[in-house]
Amino acid sequence: MVEEEPKPEPTLVDRWVEEQQQWQKTLLTYFDSLGKNEEFLVHLGNAMRGSLLAGKPYPRSDAAAAAAPETPADDRLDSILHALHKIEGQLTDLRLTVDELKDSVKKRKDKKKRKDKDKDEDEDEE
Amino acid sequence: MSEEPPEPAPVEDRDRELAAMLALSQRSRARLERLYDVLNSPGHYGVGATPTTVVYRENKLRLLRLVDEHGQPRAGPPVLFVPAPVSRYFIIDLLPGRSFAGHVAAAGFDVFIADFGTPTSEDRFCDLEYYVEGLVRRCVRTVSALTQRPAINIVGYCLGGTLSLLYSALHPETVARLVLLTTTVDGDVEGGIAWVAHKMGLAGESYDQPRLVPAAEVKSWFEMLSPGSNSLVGRVRDLWERLDDPPERLRDIRTMATWVDDVVPAPGRLLAELYQKFGPGKNALMAGTATVGSQLIDSTKITMPVMSVSAEKDTISPPEGVDAIRRIVPHADVVRLPGGHVGIVAGRAASGLWKRTVEFLAAGSTAVEGP
Repeated sequence: MVEEEPKPEPTLVDRWVEEQQQWQKTLLTYFDSLGKNEEFLVHLGNAMRGSLLAGKPYPRSDAAAAAAPETPADDRLDSILHALHKIEGQLTDLRLTVDELKDSVKKRKDKKKRKDKDKDEDEDEE
Repeated sequence: MSEEPPEPAPVEDRDRELAAMLALSQRSRARLERLYDVLNSPGHYGVGATPTTVVYRENKLRLLRLVDEHGQPRAGPPVLFVPAPVSRYFIIDLLPGRSFAGHVAAAGFDVFIADFGTPTSEDRFCDLEYYVEGLVRRCVRTVSALTQRPAINIVGYCLGGTLSLLYSALHPETVARLVLLTTTVDGDVEGGIAWVAHKMGLAGESYDQPRLVPAAEVKSWFEMLSPGSNSLVGRVRDLWERLDDPPERLRDIRTMATWVDDVVPAPGRLLAELYQKFGPGKNALMAGTATVGSQLIDSTKITMPVMSVSAEKDTISPPEGVDAIRRIVPHADVVRLPGGHVGIVAGRAASGLWKRTVEFLAAGSTAVEGP
């Protein structure tokens, strides 16, 4: 039976070459994802700003300014929308109040029914 | 006379240098590979960790009710969490196993969370009254109606605590117990977000002609609180160092970072009013002159049990400004915990706060057992 010769330890130079190949693989993986995955591009951009923020680009003043004006030129539409939201809230208040009233009427009726029932039972006993 | 060429370094020295460079290269590559995995993992961010149902909607607000694994709410006393309307709600329900609201629900309470959503252009007109007498009040009424309890528990965080405090002074009969987390009461205490905003021009916000303050601007105020660590170089260096952490820890960090960096735009009118009433030099809460709409805030009306929690290393709400509540609500239980503004609520040591909160809430009820 022939014994297998143990593999020689890789030299430092061998390990360097292997490390360079690993770097190529790592970088290729990055480039591949950058080309195929837009979200990865956003996340990598955030990481390059030191942030692990996910799902959206890191908030930047210039981007925000370009995206939307802070105060629209005509704010009448916004005023109307805001007033509508307030009315929406008032309607909810109204609904909640009606529900509360209904509830208290129901409770009062139930209480009265119980009282009448007790009264009837007492009379029957007599 | 020609110079002699330098003697080559001994072989051992060269090998040692080469080995050190190889180790550095391997470590850097491992960090990049870990970063790749983290950036590609779906993670858990942008939503709460615990299952919920939406029980009420108004404008951008959603009132969430935590449910168990069978989709049923808990039977215990109701607790309403009110987070700050200028940040995202899910910090109090961050990760499975690291959720403040989830912990309180696990103790048997019927937990609700007000998610104020992301304001848009028309919401720049929203003022303090809209939040306190509108959204918060209707959340309380809805919770009260759903649970058939005339008074509920409220837990307010940061600016959400300010809204809760004002609400409790106006409608004390509807609040059973009040917990205020890192809620600034004394605006004259130097430092914190109010002072930074003051120095960066919040005084210029107009109440009458409000704008929607962009998220980036709100973010810049927070960044100013610790400029060194928030510089681009500082942030990148911190992230690079953190990439030695195990992937699970990095995913947690990512979830937290997503909350910290995902600020929302703020209604200019609300900020202008907060500044004019509670900002440095105004201090209406301490002076007893605070108003919501036309109603004066009388802090003596706050008779329900109150617990106020400050964080030792809080740079957003300095603890001295938070603990000042004992001067306007003398019966308040004032607690100071180690940690920062976010860490005490959702950090790795947050269980200290969760436990204190459950104990405080449970003290008002015999129906709930502590965890």
